[in-house]
Amino acid sequence: MDLARMDDFERELQTALARRPAPPDLKHKIVGRRGQQTGRSRRMIWMERLAASLILAAVAGGAAFWRRQEEQRRGEEARQQVFTALRIANHALQQMNAQLAEHNRNTQ
Amino acid sequence: MAGNWQPDFEQLVDEHQSMVFSLALRMTGDYGLAEEIAQDVFLELDRNLGKIETPLHALLWLRRVAMSRSADALRRRRVRGIDQWVEIDETHGARAEERSSPLADRVERLLATVPEPQRAALILRYQEDLTPEEIAATLGAPLATVKSHLQRGLKLLRAKAAIHLKEYVRGA
Repeated sequence: MDLARMDDFERELQTALARRPAPPDLKHKIVGRRGQQTGRSRRMIWMERLAASLILAAVAGGAAFWRRQEEQRRGEEARQQVFTALRIANHALQQMNAQLAEHNRNTQ
Repeated sequence: MAGNWQPDFEQLVDEHQSMVFSLALRMTGDYGLAEEIAQDVFLELDRNLGKIETPLHALLWLRRVAMSRSADALRRRRVRGIDQWVEIDETHGARAEERSSPLADRVERLLATVPEPQRAALILRYQEDLTPEEIAATLGAPLATVKSHLQRGLKLLRAKAAIHLKEYVRGA
């Protein structure tokens, strides 16, 4: 008895739970939202490309600026070294001149 | 042969919108929410379309994701403290022709009072005509658990029906 009732009940349940039709505009809404998302993702791709280009340009510009600064710094350093060497040489020559002058005076 | 299949999104929507919507509606009991869930499920399908290999794969994927998103929606509702089940016959803007018969409505309402895991198993069993093994695979649950949910859910539902659907039984 129970089994028969159970079968009936299950059949009733199956009938009651038949799939319901989707709202008539569901597909339209899905396709609309899909279009919006596609448009948004395309915009996002362009924005990402633009951002990547800007970052790349900034990095390349920064590297060029840094290289130029470094070259200037090295040039200045070399110039200072030459000046120092010239000052040392000048000082040595002056000492030598003084010693020669003293030597001349002594021999006279 | 299956390797040559190219998924057509709009065709998949046409074929499966009723299934996805019905699963979400019976899980949540809210017409508007079910419509929202169905839209989200199909948009998720669109994002994963490249991974779908066969029509059967699409069906199984949609069924699994529809159940999962419906459960997520119910969880979010519980967190917000909203009543789990909104009267299904309020139908939130559903047109008269979309509504089911009064008996079906009452059965759905009774089903709504069954605990969520049991309800999920019953919906997949009687709406989708799945075997317990297929239900277990869809829900990612052990087979024994699914069988237990089906038995308990059916017992509970039958007890409720014996009280609430007497007039329909007599009238039949």
